[in-house]
This record gives sequence, C-alpha cells and structure tokens, in this order.
Amino acid sequence: MRIGVYVCHCGLNIAGVLEPDILTEFAKTLPGVEVARDLQFTCSDTGQETIKEDIKEHKLESIVVAACSPRLHEPTFRRVVSEAGMNPFMLEMANIREQCSWVHMDEPPQAQEKAKDLIRMAVAKAALLNPLTGETMPVSREVLVIGGGVAGIQAALDLADCGLHVYLVERRPTIGGYMALLTDVFPTNDCSICVLAPKMTDVYNHPLITLVTYAEILNVDGSVGRFTVSGVKKARFVDEKLCKGCLNECAGVCPVEVPDDYEFGLGKRKAIFMPIPQAVPLVACIDPESCIGCGLCAEACPVDAVKYDQKQEDFRFDVGAIIVATGWQSFDPARKEEYGYGRYRDVISALQIERLLNAAGPTGGEVVRPSTGDVAKSVAFLQCVGSRDETVGNPYCSRVCCMYALKNAQLIKEKYPEAEVSIHYIDLRAGGEGYEEFYIRAQRLGINFIRGRVSEVEEVDGALRVNYEDTLLGGFRSKPYDLVVLSAGLEANRDADVVGNLLGLSKRPDGFFEIAHPKMRPVEAHIDGVFIAGCASGPKEIQVSIAQGEAAASKAMGLLVRGELALDPVVAVVDSEKCIGCKLCVETCPSMAISVNGTALVDEAACKGCGTCAAACPVDAIGMTLFSDEQILAQIHAATAVKGQYPFIVGFLCNWCSYAGADLAGTSRIQYPTNMRAIRVMCAGRVDPAFVIEALKGGADGVLISGCRLGECHYSKGNYQAYQRVQVLKGVLEKVGINPGRVKIVWCAASEGEILAKEVRKFVRELEEMGPVGTELAPPGSPQPSGGGS
Amino acid sequence: MTQIAKTENMAMAAKEIATRTRTAEGEKFRERVLALAGEDVKTCIQCGTCSASCPTAHLMDTPIRKLVKLVLEGEKEEALSSRSIWLCTSCLLCTVRCPRNIRPMAVVAALKTIYEEEGNRCKDSVFEGIFGRQIRDYGRISEFLLSAEYMIRSPSSAAQIMAFGAELVPKGKIELAFDAAKGERIEGTEEVRRIFELLGDEGKSKKTEETEEATI
Repeated sequence: MRIGVYVCHCGLNIAGVLEPDILTEFAKTLPGVEVARDLQFTCSDTGQETIKEDIKEHKLESIVVAACSPRLHEPTFRRVVSEAGMNPFMLEMANIREQCSWVHMDEPPQAQEKAKDLIRMAVAKAALLNPLTGETMPVSREVLVIGGGVAGIQAALDLADCGLHVYLVERRPTIGGYMALLTDVFPTNDCSICVLAPKMTDVYNHPLITLVTYAEILNVDGSVGRFTVSGVKKARFVDEKLCKGCLNECAGVCPVEVPDDYEFGLGKRKAIFMPIPQAVPLVACIDPESCIGCGLCAEACPVDAVKYDQKQEDFRFDVGAIIVATGWQSFDPARKEEYGYGRYRDVISALQIERLLNAAGPTGGEVVRPSTGDVAKSVAFLQCVGSRDETVGNPYCSRVCCMYALKNAQLIKEKYPEAEVSIHYIDLRAGGEGYEEFYIRAQRLGINFIRGRVSEVEEVDGALRVNYEDTLLGGFRSKPYDLVVLSAGLEANRDADVVGNLLGLSKRPDGFFEIAHPKMRPVEAHIDGVFIAGCASGPKEIQVSIAQGEAAASKAMGLLVRGELALDPVVAVVDSEKCIGCKLCVETCPSMAISVNGTALVDEAACKGCGTCAAACPVDAIGMTLFSDEQILAQIHAATAVKGQYPFIVGFLCNWCSYAGADLAGTSRIQYPTNMRAIRVMCAGRVDPAFVIEALKGGADGVLISGCRLGECHYSKGNYQAYQRVQVLKGVLEKVGINPGRVKIVWCAASEGEILAKEVRKFVRELEEMGPVGTELAPPGSPQPSGGGS
Repeated sequence: MTQIAKTENMAMAAKEIATRTRTAEGEKFRERVLALAGEDVKTCIQCGTCSASCPTAHLMDTPIRKLVKLVLEGEKEEALSSRSIWLCTSCLLCTVRCPRNIRPMAVVAALKTIYEEEGNRCKDSVFEGIFGRQIRDYGRISEFLLSAEYMIRSPSSAAQIMAFGAELVPKGKIELAFDAAKGERIEGTEEVRRIFELLGDEGKSKKTEETEEATI
C-alpha cells in the first residue's frame, strides 16, 4: 500500500502545541508511507490540491490526514480523495487537534509523543483499508410536523406545496398556537388572526396535509428516512365530520361555566366549547373534566354530532423526516412574588393584555382594571419578568418582550390618548427590520420610558404602586398605576419533553431544544432526519418562527425529495465458510438486520454498521467493511509499539457519544492527561474482548471503553452489550491474576467532554496505584518491571 | 469670559476627565472590591433592582446601583465618601433580588472594609468596639453597661440617640435593672474569647469582614 500522510498546522491550533514538521519526518519513517508533508491548512484549497496532486504523482493508494476530528472533516477529505480518482474510503484521519493539541496545551512534549502514536495508528489502519461503495435506500417521502403553531403551519404548507405528504399533529383542539390568540402584531400592527387564519384554513384544505388535532404522540421508532410514529387522538365527544361549527346551539344550552384557558383566566367558557372563533378544524369539543353529562347539548345539536361514547383513536404513520415545532410556554409571573401577580387583581400578564386588547377578547377590546371593570387610566409595563433573571433560573433574554410591550403600549395610547402609559425597562432591545422605527413611533406617541427594573408592586389604599429607581436620574420612586402588565418571558414548553425524549433531542441549559450548531445549522437537531423550528429552540418573534418553519421544510425536502438516501457502506459481512449458524448475532443485532438460514445473512440496507455482531460472533465469522478486526488490531499494535508514557491507556470511544464528547473536551479546551491513545469505533458494542486482551498483552496498563449513556445508545443497546462483555472479561482477568480494574467502562454523552476528561484523569490515578501491567503477576520479591516516566 | 480663558477651562476640564477615567489607584480599588465581593460584580447591568429594593434607600446619598458602577469605574474617592455604605442594614434584599446573582450587599461590605483598611474609623466604630468587647468578655450584651460606656466614650453621638433610648425603657426593651449591670456571663466565655482571638483585635478587623463575606 502506497500511503500519503498530511500533517496539518491548523494555523496555531495544532502547531502552537505540536511540531508538525517533526511529525512529518516521523511519518516518513513509517512502513508504506510514500510521501509525507506538513500543511498550513490542509482543508484549504491549497491543501486539498496538494493531496490531489500527490495522489496522481505518487500513485498513492491510501491517505492519512493528521488534523482535526474525523467528525468534522472526514467528509471533506473523502471528497478530496474521490476527486483525485481514489475510493473515498481509502482515507484515515489522526485526530491531533480535538484529542491532542487542544487538550494537552500545557504538556507539549507528551502531546507530541501522543501525536506520533496517533499517526502511527492511523498509518497502520490506512494500510488495511478497503475500497467501499455505498448503496441507496428508498425512503418515505412523508413528513411529520409536531405542533400546529405558526412555525409548524408554515413548514406543513411549504412541504405540501412541494408535493410531500405531511402529517400535522397538534395537542390542542385547534391549530394556530399562541399567534391565534394575540391582538395586533409588531412591527406593522396588523391583526394577528387576520394574517394567520388564511394559513390555518389552507392547512385544513390542503390535499397533501393530514391534520390531526387534539392528539398526543406516544412513540417514535426507526431512524432517518423511515420513522414510525404512533399516538392517540383524544375523544372530543363531538363527531368531527358531522359538526357544523355553529356552536351557539350546544354551548348556548350548556349549564357549566369554567375559566377559559384560551383567555388566560380572564373569561369563561362552557363545558362544550370552540377554542377560538377561527378554530381549525371548526369543531366543538367537550371538556370531560367539567362536563356534567346533562345531555342538553346532544339534544340541542341540529345534526346529532355530540357523541358521549366517542373513544380515543390510535394513529400510526411512516415518515421520512420529523419537524419539531412544539413552541413555548409563558413564564409563570406568580413566581415573582414581589410583583403581586395572583395577589393583586390589577396586576396582569402580557398574554392577558393581548386578550384585553383583542376585539374578540373577554372585554371586546376594552383595557379595563379587572378589580373594578373601569377603563384603566394609567398602565405600567414591567419588562424582564422571568427573563434576564438568575433568581428564577432564566438568565436569557426572551427577545420579544420589548417589542410586544412597545406594541401594546402603542395600542393603548392610540385607543385612549389620555391614558398614561409607561414602560419600565432595563434595556430596550429593538433589533430587527423596522423595529427601531417602531420604538421611535412609541416615543412620539408619548409613552414614558423609565429605565430601572421594578423592585416591587404594592397595593396602598387600594391603588397599585410600582417601586423602582430611575437609574438615569438616580433616586428611589414609587408611582401609582391603575393597571400593571408583567412582560413575562418565554420558557421552553414543558409539554414538549415527551416528544423530546422520544426523539432523543438534547436540551440547552436554558431548557430549549438544542440545534445541531448554534450558528451554522439553525433548524437541524442532533438526530438525523429531525428538524426544529420556531420557539422550540428558543424565544423568537413570529417572522423568525415562520422563516424557521420554511427552513425546516426546505431541509426535510432536501433530505427526502429524491425518495432515496445514500446508505453508509460500513456494514457487517458474514463469512459463510466460518459461520456455524449459532444465531448469537441475530439476538445481538439492534437493527434486526441479520437472519440465519443455515448460515447468517446481513441485510445491508438495515445494517447500521455498529459491529456488535462482529464482537459477539464466537468464531469470528462476521467482519466489518470498515472498523474491521484487522484494522483495529493493527491500531492496537501501533498504539502499544512504543509506550512512551506510564500509565499507558488504550481507549475505545464510540463514534456517536464518547468520541464526540472527547472532541467537545477539545473544543472546550478541557485539559486532561496525555496517557490515552483512543481508537474510534462505531459503538462500544463493537469492542471485542480480544481487543482488550491484545492491548493488555501489548503492554497497555489499562483499557478504557466509553459508550453512550445507558439508554441513549445510538444503536439502542450496544452499550449494554459492551457492559456485559466487560463484566465477563473482568472475571476472566481476575482468574488469571490480572487486576480487573485495568479494564474500565464508562458512559459519556456527546455533550459531556468534562466527564470524559474526568474519567481519564481518574483512570490514570487508579492505574498509577495499581502499578505497571503485569506487576500483579510477578512473584513477591522479584524485581518490578519499570515503566516509562510520565 | 474671554475666548482664551474659555478654551483653557475646557482644556482643564478635558484633562480632569482624562485623569478621572484611568488611574492606577482606581484600578487597584476596583480589583480589591472584586476580590472581596466577587468577580460577578462585573456582570452588573445597572437595572436598579438593588437600590429600589433597599429599605434605607430614601436616606442614601448614592443609590447602591451607583455604588456598584463607581466601583467598576474605579471611582474610589466618591464611592468611599458615600454616606450610603454606613446606612446598609445588611437585610440582603438587594442580594436576594439581584437578577444577575451579584451580591450588592457584599459590595457595600467591601467598601466598609476598604474604608477601614485605609486607616479610617467610621462613626460607629466606638459603638461597635464596645459591643464587641462585651460579647468577648461576657458572651452577651448588657444594655445598661453598653449605654453607659457609649455615653462616656462618645458623648456627642450618644446624646443623639438618648431620647430614643429613653422611649424604649418603659416598654421594657432596655433592661436597666442593677442585676443586668453586674456583667452576667454565659457559659463557655472562654470559647467566645478564642473565637475573637482567631478573628483578631476586638473582633473588628479585615478578617471579620471577610468571614462575614464568606457566609453570605
């Protein structure tokens, strides 16, 4: 095999700690290496061209790039080698940035030794690579959109308009989300429902959209291209097909009145109700909690649509992609006790003022004091209630409150020019097209802007007083108001946790769903085929939610529009000569990809390439096209060739969580000891006990296996199998007199760089106490083998 | 005013502004306060929740919020000369409510500490000294002895609060009985004394302040 090795400086990211020129000279001494070079930025055009030219000029057969993580640039370099006419799988990367220079910044000499080992290991594997070609898999061209707020509506419409079938699932009896409940919306002050209702109707009428309201998703199986989703549609006790949406008849006779949650407690509704006049679908719903079963509505209904015996229905869809648009929930302003929400009737929330200002709201658009019913003559807006507030655990800015307060203040001032309207703010954030102009408009209307966060709202002689320091003038003030509006922030929707768990979405510290990259991949989740739009990934104004709905639709379309996905050619292959038909692999396989008819057979489309079967096979009849036994053993031998450090650890990191976690430790510059040489495997379940024994035989003082956290395995249960194997292996080691503590299995998620670093630190200390491998075998009194100094 | 004089004045004003913004002394002061009150003070957004929550804000010449800003700008003289720092009752409402989890009270405490580190004595130091010594010696306070000693050591200050003290006597808030003046001791005064020894002279030193910091 003629191998080319390229050592990247990555500016100073690598060269600031390691010495790429020396590493290059070192690489030249390795077997099979035809050419080795150090490059400033290997991923740059110049770097790529150099590799391509070398491939042609030196007739290279495989390439090693010692640079960043393969999780970052493996696709780039696979493209480069294939552009030079080589099979894209004839490439191996040595991760000398995320897992070396960035995590050992204080120990350049040891880091340099580790980098040498990593390059030696990559070259050893590169010599054993095989050309692979990928198959394609047909995928479902249907998409599930979870959540019928404006982001979900937009995504569903865009997908359906492009010819993809959409299932839109909504928890509540109508779509429209919070936007359907708002009054006018900034920055143009047009009526919210007037611009939204046409979209809602379009959803209802679109031939390619299946709308499922009042429903919950209970299970999600499968993966990108072929998810199976199931759930239930709750009983409304009203036949959707028969109900004409007249409502006056049934609700008119219903004797039960309860607070209307669509009015945020300000109005009342009947036990049979229509959530909003523009509800889609326009079907009444009986709330079983409050219905007394008197039967009056059933008698009154002109079309006999009321069905008290209606049952919930199960549903099940096969979809290729999922868009999560589960939205937000309001911060509960009662948590800020000093503002008196829930104690003083005239302290209301931002959502309540939206309903008061709404012509269809409980007061017909009059802004009244709830305590007296009189029109409020003075109104205060208190900003940052539950946002930018560490005391309630929400340090983030909710982004929309400044704008909606400006908007509602304008609406009040326009309706009641005599009213005194003040906004108590810390900072006014009006970044967006037309937003600053909107702020200026509010100033011109005579709204007071008072800079200072309110400390408390008190009731003095029946009147509300707002206490604050005017921080621009200095000095404590106490100002009376008729009505106080708390601009409550936006929080992650707790009701979306179920969906998040089913899909395996991760959350940011602020509680919202995490997107794949905070800047570059704004609507993709970490899970393939899952996209996030709107406030599910953080507070957003309507226009941005719509843009995200469109973006998510476009990403889902790009994934499914061809009707097929390119399959990863990394699969298991059975050697039927060796196979004894024991079916152990069938039980092991998490993807149900293996069947046995005499000998085992792998379905390449279903195989995900985890390699758990290969590790389980008692006769080594199953091989992997990549991450093969030969390749991994070659890496182990290369790793233990020199052992320049004590204790010396060989690590096996699963690609999805632990290797990514180790990369994260790098990007976060979390420093840990240089003692480990990591081998990337697709799953912890791939680790054959033979690998561990080979590493110990080679002189490694310890072997660390790290997989996804239990219950979070990318292949569902590979980490459990790894755990079982390690337990058995520990027993065997103990019997032959090797300290079982030399084999360690840990769990580390992709977000847990600190945990991986901590485990390595801990393992190094433990191994230091155990002494070099084999000391436990030495008869007492005999000289101890000495390890290299660390 | 002539044009030249006006220009000179402006130049002087500009010079003063320049020297006010960056002084080594100011920088040192800022770092000292941050060391005592915590680096988080740097994240202050000047929202005013602290000063608006403060029960003695109406008596203060400088709002607490402004004290924090003065600290961050290194305005040592203005911060230390503020009456506000002596009006803080350590009720901690500012600290409980601060949306950035800064401890404004700790800033005030730091300013007091620095004030005394500079060799100044605050108006209350006489009173605090007597208070501390009584605790050290008896493990408790005798209002009778305290008032008496305060009157002797600082007659002018004591005179100011005498009328108020007189009001408290008939309500039983101040014990003037002779028994109480005998200096009754609690059990284990030796341990109390050791605590004082550990903390330093008269229980009123830099160390006490820092311990107070740590427990907030």
